Amino acid sequence: MTEIRQELARAATMLDLGRYEEASTLLARLVSAEPGSGRAWCLFARAHLGADRFAEAVDAANRAAAIEPAEEWPHRLASNALMHLGHHGEALRAAAESRRLAPSYWQTHVCVAQAALAAGQPAIAATAAAEARKLAANEPDVHFLSGKVALARGDLDGARRHQERALALDPAHSGAMNELGRIRLRRHDTAGAIRHFINAARTTPSEHIYSRNIDVVIVRSVSRMIYIFVLVAMTLLWIPAVTHTGALPLGAGLATLVLATLGAVAVMLTRLPPEARQLARRTVLSRRVIAALAIVFGGVAAAFAAVAFVPSGALPQTLPIAIIITIIARVVATARLRSPLGPNSPGNRTSPTQPLPPSRRR
Amino acid sequence: MEPEPLLDSLRNAVAAMPDDVPLRLHLATMLLRAGQRDEAVRHLGAVLQRDPGNAEAIRMLTSPGEAAGPPAPPPADVDASAERVHGSASPAPGSVPAPDATSGVHPDRDGNGDGSAADHAAPGHGAADRGTDGYDWSQAEDELRDVLPTMFVGDAGSVSAGLDEARAYDAEHTGLTLADVAGLDEVKKRLEAAFLAPMRNPELRKLYGKSLRGGLLLYGPPGCGKTFIARAVAGELGARFITVSFADLIDMFVGRSERNIHELFEVARRNSPCVVFLDEVDAIGQKRSQLRNTPMRSAVNQLLLELDDVASDNTGVFLLAATNHPWDVDSALRRPGRFDRTLLVLPPDGPAREGVFRYHLRERPVAGIDLARLSRLTDGYSGADIAHVCETAAERALLDSVRRGEPRLIGQADLEASVGEVRPSLGTWFETARNVALFANEGGAYDDLVAYLRKRRLI
Repeated sequence: MTEIRQELARAATMLDLGRYEEASTLLARLVSAEPGSGRAWCLFARAHLGADRFAEAVDAANRAAAIEPAEEWPHRLASNALMHLGHHGEALRAAAESRRLAPSYWQTHVCVAQAALAAGQPAIAATAAAEARKLAANEPDVHFLSGKVALARGDLDGARRHQERALALDPAHSGAMNELGRIRLRRHDTAGAIRHFINAARTTPSEHIYSRNIDVVIVRSVSRMIYIFVLVAMTLLWIPAVTHTGALPLGAGLATLVLATLGAVAVMLTRLPPEARQLARRTVLSRRVIAALAIVFGGVAAAFAAVAFVPSGALPQTLPIAIIITIIARVVATARLRSPLGPNSPGNRTSPTQPLPPSRRR
Repeated sequence: MEPEPLLDSLRNAVAAMPDDVPLRLHLATMLLRAGQRDEAVRHLGAVLQRDPGNAEAIRMLTSPGEAAGPPAPPPADVDASAERVHGSASPAPGSVPAPDATSGVHPDRDGNGDGSAADHAAPGHGAADRGTDGYDWSQAEDELRDVLPTMFVGDAGSVSAGLDEARAYDAEHTGLTLADVAGLDEVKKRLEAAFLAPMRNPELRKLYGKSLRGGLLLYGPPGCGKTFIARAVAGELGARFITVSFADLIDMFVGRSERNIHELFEVARRNSPCVVFLDEVDAIGQKRSQLRNTPMRSAVNQLLLELDDVASDNTGVFLLAATNHPWDVDSALRRPGRFDRTLLVLPPDGPAREGVFRYHLRERPVAGIDLARLSRLTDGYSGADIAHVCETAAERALLDSVRRGEPRLIGQADLEASVGEVRPSLGTWFETARNVALFANEGGAYDDLVAYLRKRRLI
């Protein structure tokens, strides 16, 4: 029995160090030698969770819950795994069960808040997060989660306060830094957001979500520029019909517009923090962004040609076609920009152009 | 009679895949056909060691006629066959003691015998040991004794629960030098300049006032030969080599990790000159801010204490460490006097990849291999990836041999097909390395990594 305890302690250490595969191997042996040990199954579930084997994690957690029905931990583990599998209703039920079993333990409330947030029930999440704060006011993770709940409810100031509190309690909390970036982004402060994402990536370089979020911000900026470019282009398309100008001024107008858009991209790059510039340059020069720009510029050029080179009598028929071409070019270019972007955790249904919270705190 | 080259090829294949039971059985059959009975018996013994119930091996060993000629169709009841031989005057069954003695497998395992001591008794010696077919069973037994190690030695009660120094840390001579490391000239040059030259030239070192304080931290993607290079460094210094991994040191008992770490350094001091190689030092010396559990924190503290001791005593203990994640190593470990020098060990270059291919194919039956082409095809692969390519190619050839009923050599086509199957495994590492290079290269600590990533257009 002592030996099993020692081995379990060993496995727990491995898990603390993030050695999920080694821990899984050890725990597979332990649960087969001691199938009645609820703790072994819980640790096994945790190892599976760490290795992103969520279905196996649910199985192991359920085994633990069957062995020790009065324990809250198996339900929290199951809730976490179910959330990753996208079974939000079940995850919330498992979290509620863990809270029922240990209402005075703050982690159960955090678990409920997380599950409720994932299930799209921010009101339940807010209540649970408030309860967790009452029980553990000095836990950075409690404030981190409270900030996420506040952000989901649109309370940007509250979200910022919670994340800043989390950082005050743990200055290396990269998740909180990332959340501050997301809050800045909601306030349309691109450079500020990128600064926070850079801090998070610097603190935890092995979490790829942070650099991905920088990419996302840059792609969103390019997408916004394309949108503005198309709006201006559509306005310009009316000029020949109204002022009866020739092809040359119209072409000059288009060239100016293209140059202005490219100039805006360049200005955006120069305004970024130096660390992000290299990454941004790479993103802007990526095949996806180049293709999107080519599609939208090509589409708009075709629309301009259609308007510029037809006799003025045919303009009423040609103009709508030109407008439709421009809109299609914008839609296709945006779709191209939204094509898969960097590492995205399995089961994550968030749009590739939405900045993500970290999958778990490292 | 089987042609000798075929047998040699099979021997090579068995040496490369010692656990492949069907292959070994096939070799034993061929050896019996070729009249090389002693060697065949040795292989059959090895088969039974791995698969104690293997009916085919038991049949071949227990049937005296088997050794003389081609394999007969297996009898319907193996145990019955064993029983029949038991009843005869021949000492054959008793002369297959190794599997019985070591693995508990016995012809009577199904209860056919009475389980008395007579059933387990070794046969007599001398002329009686020689069967009617002239086969020397006694000699075969002796050979099997060598092949099959005894499972339990000594008094079970004497196994110590504590750490036995000799058992825990083997201070060995590696017999390797940097000349054994294929390619990686840049790494060797930097190793020479940063570490080996001062170590090897004590007079010059004194002249220039160069201190021996501090160790060398090797870092780079996994499977790229950091451990091999560390062993080669020990060989270059003519020092003993102690390798310590995460699993050796981590123990949750409070005080136990510290004791293990202290004991390790004591062993190293007693065996000086000695290279202590801390593999996966990020696990042992992880940032203390990331460590929530107290025993691990105190393990890191103890490690720091020992490093300082080694530095001040300078007892001929050279420190090397390796990690895939230097950014996770406690900064205290990287201060001057500790692991203050770092060396990036990158994926193998062209000549190194050829060397790795040559190494992994050296004991396999191969023909017509174009190493230069393979090296070109595997740009960006780690040494471990290349080992996997060779393993996959061997597997293909083996399966094909089984399908066709005759062994064949591993060819270029097998290896190229395997290269297509095995993808390089370093993507995730480079993703993290890119983040480090872009955002966490404080003080230029990772300038060589940045230069490499730029060269490969990864940033």
